Amino acid sequence: MALSRLRSIALASLVFAALLMAALFITVEAAPPNQSADEGATLFKEKCVGCHTIGSGKLVGPDLKGVTQRQEKAWLLSWIQAPDKMLAAGDPIATQLLKEYNNLPMPNLGLNETQVASLVAYLEGIDAGTIAAPVLPTAAAVPEGNSVIGKELFTGVNRFQNGGPPCMGCHSVGGLGALGGGALGPDLTTAFDKYGGAAGLVGFLNAPPTATMNAVWSRQPLTADEQANLMAFLQSATATERPVEALVPLTVLAIVGALILIVVAQLYWRKRLVSVRRAMVTRSRIS
Amino acid sequence: MFDIVLFAVFPYVAVIIAVVVGLYRYFNDRFTYSSLSSQFLENRILFFGTVPWHYGVIIILSAHLFAFLVPVLWGDLIADQTRLYIMELTGLSLALMSIVGITILIARRFRNVRAKAVMSFMDWVLLFALLTQVILGFWTALVYRWGSDWYLHTAVPWLYSLLLLNPEIQHVTALPWEVKFHMLGGFLLVLLFPFTRLVHIVTYPLTYLWRPIQVVIWNRRVAK
Repeated sequence: MALSRLRSIALASLVFAALLMAALFITVEAAPPNQSADEGATLFKEKCVGCHTIGSGKLVGPDLKGVTQRQEKAWLLSWIQAPDKMLAAGDPIATQLLKEYNNLPMPNLGLNETQVASLVAYLEGIDAGTIAAPVLPTAAAVPEGNSVIGKELFTGVNRFQNGGPPCMGCHSVGGLGALGGGALGPDLTTAFDKYGGAAGLVGFLNAPPTATMNAVWSRQPLTADEQANLMAFLQSATATERPVEALVPLTVLAIVGALILIVVAQLYWRKRLVSVRRAMVTRSRIS
Repeated sequence: MFDIVLFAVFPYVAVIIAVVVGLYRYFNDRFTYSSLSSQFLENRILFFGTVPWHYGVIIILSAHLFAFLVPVLWGDLIADQTRLYIMELTGLSLALMSIVGITILIARRFRNVRAKAVMSFMDWVLLFALLTQVILGFWTALVYRWGSDWYLHTAVPWLYSLLLLNPEIQHVTALPWEVKFHMLGGFLLVLLFPFTRLVHIVTYPLTYLWRPIQVVIWNRRVAK
């Protein structure tokens, strides 16, 4: 086959595709918007209120009132940009904060440099008194929850009003039984205490800050009732059974399943080696 | 930036090349659209590789496609612990079966002299790309369960955003690396499609459904 011609046309289309995409992205990336405290305010509501207040006390993370005076600006910029890298590098302030806040690391929010600068500009504005601190939802505003409904929402028997996925797809929790919940996200058995009770969780459930959760929930947020029911369930789950370790039973079941399928295939096609030719030869001999 | 190249540029490059080169190969070298079967060269071990491999991988691939096409229906289907567990266990068993299958196929190509003799470089590349892809898929399903659920809220919105020419990579960039490799591996296989015997995927003999009837007459003496 004309492999060399195939190669050259492949190369040509590769170059074409690469140029097309490069052109596309250069036009998109060419003009990054300038930093602005307004953009910072929007970002704060989307990405930060899950864990932080400004002047209303600690949640999952520290109260950010006065943070621009407590920390160097350069430190703040690189921390918000890549908290995971700072922690991995053993930054002393970062390590201290991690210890102080239940070993819950601040997630990498996936922001670009302009967005980080906007956030810091916003925080500076608040500390300087030129911008008003945001009013955030508090635990007091959350209605009384029902842990039974909460469990149904968690497992998916009861679906979320705005179309979000059941928690169980990614999270496990004590008392789910059988093979437990998902393992993409952390186990939530002790989440209620770990995230600072209702006060911490309400912020988190309003605007989940981790990159993957944020992408899912910013478009289909939980209603106030759903949050209350989930919190009630998580609170009851904290005290109940230990989570199920599903890895070993799952592996064993998968091996058994695969074996059964292979045996069935062998039984079903067991006569496959009786070839057409052999049958014809036999037949011709008989006659 | 690196994420943009991997999750917003590479998929397009892979698909464009697959279509352009695939069409070129079809119109210029049509008879190479084949699985280049080696069943005549070695038939005994082939069965234990090809049957588990194809039944496993085709069913799993269909499930990926089905969930992508009707995510809401799929979401309703697994929004129940028992149904979710059944679905996941079926998927894991089929995945393991296809891993066993392709491992046997690879071993057969190594050990059988005749089957090995007809292998080209790209055949080896394809075999190992497929092996890596199914192992990563099985690992993802097992360790980062329950993928049949979160697939709908990570990979599916990402794929739709690619389809609408407005890539939203935030749906997938923060996932564990094995999961990301599995997603990129899918597009790598798309890229490999026109350069390998993977083209046989589109050679399913659909025309058999409407071809004229053939009358087969056996000539032999009737036994007395």
